[in-house]
Amino acid sequence: MLRSIGISLLLAGANCIAPAQAASPNNPLGTGPEAVAAGHVIFNRTCTACHGTDGAEGERAPALVGDRRFFRLSENAIFDTIKNGILGTAMPALGLPDDDIWRIVVFIRAMRASASDVDVPGDAEHGAAVFSGKGGCLKCHMLLGQGGIIGPDLSNIGAQMTLQHLRESLTQARPIPIGYRPVKVVTRSGETVEGIAKNEDGFSIQILDFHDKLHLYDKSELRQIVHGTTSLMPRNYDQALTPGEYQDLAAMLGHQVTVKLHVKDQGEGEVGR
Amino acid sequence: MKRLALTLSLALASSLCAQVTDKQLELSPDSDWLHYNGGYSSQRHSGLDQIRLSNVGSLVSKWVYHVPGGGGLQSVPIVVDGVMYITQPNEIYALDGRSGRLIWQYHHILAKAPDREGPNRGVAVFEDKVYFTTTDSFLIALNTASGNVLWQSKIAEASEGYHSSAAPLVAKGKVMVGVIYGDRGLNGFLVAFDARTGERLWQFDSIPKPGEPGSESWVGDSWKHAGGATWLTGSYDPELNLLYWAIGNPSPDFNGDVREGDNLYTDSMVALGLNTGKMKWHFQFTPHDVMDWDGAEIPVLVDAPFDGKMRKLLVQADRNGFYYVLDRETGQFLHGSKLARQVNWATGLTAQGRPILVPGIEPSLKGTKVCPSSTGATNWMSPTYNPQTGLFYFVALEGCGLATKNTEKFRPGGFQYRAGGDVLLKDDTWKVYVRALELTTGKQVWEQERVGSGSLGGGLLSTAGGVIFSGELNGEFVALNAKTGQPVWHFNTGQPINSQPMTYMVDGKQYVGLTANSDVFGFALFEPEKALAK
Repeated sequence: MLRSIGISLLLAGANCIAPAQAASPNNPLGTGPEAVAAGHVIFNRTCTACHGTDGAEGERAPALVGDRRFFRLSENAIFDTIKNGILGTAMPALGLPDDDIWRIVVFIRAMRASASDVDVPGDAEHGAAVFSGKGGCLKCHMLLGQGGIIGPDLSNIGAQMTLQHLRESLTQARPIPIGYRPVKVVTRSGETVEGIAKNEDGFSIQILDFHDKLHLYDKSELRQIVHGTTSLMPRNYDQALTPGEYQDLAAMLGHQVTVKLHVKDQGEGEVGR
Repeated sequence: MKRLALTLSLALASSLCAQVTDKQLELSPDSDWLHYNGGYSSQRHSGLDQIRLSNVGSLVSKWVYHVPGGGGLQSVPIVVDGVMYITQPNEIYALDGRSGRLIWQYHHILAKAPDREGPNRGVAVFEDKVYFTTTDSFLIALNTASGNVLWQSKIAEASEGYHSSAAPLVAKGKVMVGVIYGDRGLNGFLVAFDARTGERLWQFDSIPKPGEPGSESWVGDSWKHAGGATWLTGSYDPELNLLYWAIGNPSPDFNGDVREGDNLYTDSMVALGLNTGKMKWHFQFTPHDVMDWDGAEIPVLVDAPFDGKMRKLLVQADRNGFYYVLDRETGQFLHGSKLARQVNWATGLTAQGRPILVPGIEPSLKGTKVCPSSTGATNWMSPTYNPQTGLFYFVALEGCGLATKNTEKFRPGGFQYRAGGDVLLKDDTWKVYVRALELTTGKQVWEQERVGSGSLGGGLLSTAGGVIFSGELNGEFVALNAKTGQPVWHFNTGQPINSQPMTYMVDGKQYVGLTANSDVFGFALFEPEKALAK
């Protein structure tokens, strides 16, 4: 597919007319914020009835963004699906002008992209001050070698999460990531240890306590194990911070990248973002 | 929770303090195993004796951890307070040493360099940090409890072809790391970093630059693509404050015509001041090596009587087929003797320890039979010294090669620059052994063949229980009687062993740890009552 695009680009560059039966149409609009915003409007008008607001999953059709595995990832795969529908399912051919379809494509891909790939409004520099100051984030999280270890390292968070995921992590209860579930155990000798379970099976449990110490137990040594049901992560940053501070914090996290992940985002059948 | 026998409740969970101090790093291995070769002396002798000759027969595998995507593992597990750290290239894993369960893992994402190239031999630890090196030549420090990256420092330019694979060594707040490849014409060096900050402190260059002492041992520009990789972990004497690092072969490996001279400091042991990296002495095992016999084998430090006088010794079983005893204060050669039956390139050593060459026994355009082969009479698999028996144990390979040279040229960017090679003559004499030598005389006391192993395999561990543990390339993990060499236990891991075993204790129970190809094993004595309680 890439090769045929290359050839048609080459032909266009040589001032020739591309063949009428071009295998792969090209996105003529780019992926800038204007296209994303325009796509958002068309998406909400056309797609949300089935796929839910912002593609978060509707009653009649699956989510288009989030942590599930997607079969249609590339621009052209999504374009063709919207243009032609999926035979045998409720997904119709939409009959929109091609440019509007491209706008929807750009919007869906922006929603899936990691936060660092999209335009996150806000003052990242001020967000860094909120992160280390009022937000109190360093107490639990590490950033480039500084901070706590009871929460995940955020040094590369902008490349690891979608913007939506990032915002939800700051404001909503989300599933607790593996290795961070709160746990309290009482040993047979009466000692109580509280922390997070880095791992657990039917016979052993590995706990990181709130003083950065690891405790390794055979379960035969424990009298009681109580698993926490909610994450240690506060979820009220939109309340505890001013709207400006919250926006700037999200911008700072969205820009926080050390290594780019998911560079294969054009591939089919990869895990989508 | 299940009801448990009272005896079990005596076992207390470990409350872990993750701070590894200088003092701990100076101790001989006991409950913890803090260095690639156990301790600064690299004796690989543990004081643990719960597993001993009388009960080793009931040793069983307590757990196995499969390293995702693992293969050819050479990582020696490091254990601090029951937490085990193992590596494969660009990945580090923290495991529960009692159960083998994963605590955390970290994958270093590479910009360009190959992700799975070469082995990685393991980590070093200090305070709350664990250190490892990557195929794109970074030293990375991570938090021991969480695996969070604290800093990373560049060791060398990956674009020039440099990698780093040896386990680092930490001493008095410094982390020493080496580089590879000496077979690609890349000049080796050893770098010290500040263990707390990652700041680069000093560098020792294996190959002296023009005008520096030793540069007269190279002709013309041959020093520029000269090898001398620092591809194994060295030893350290805290009292003398000297590091002992073994330096790899010269480049090109098999054609010495382009590099006339002794080619210092390749195939040498160098003693470096810890504070400055300045060389105090050197001893070259194989001057002008043309058989890839890099003298990189482990320097083992022992204090023992020699000629009736207590001496600070350094002993090494070298790839070139000789066993060496040096004075580690001065570098003085004290003793040398053949450690293999098939050594045809030298008749012996002079009083200064220089090989007495047999003319013509070197790679030629048409091929020459040279013994040992380029694989060596021994190699990187660690030896061990047991102070109770006074014996030095190592893995030996009897075998020769048909060695040729050619005129291959150096190409920048990390390409092979060997200019020859040898065809291994795997005839009836090609055999692998574990051998025990008297420390100061090199006299062989016993040998035990590794039957069915086509090459050297993994290294050795000695314990106060009177047992030598030995991992064979054919997959057998074997315990030998340290006094006689008789096998007293074995376990088929089902995959080639290319690593050195180690031992540790958690909550009063001794374990033996080993990486074998794609898996990590934890062995301990069988406890029938505990098995029934489950």
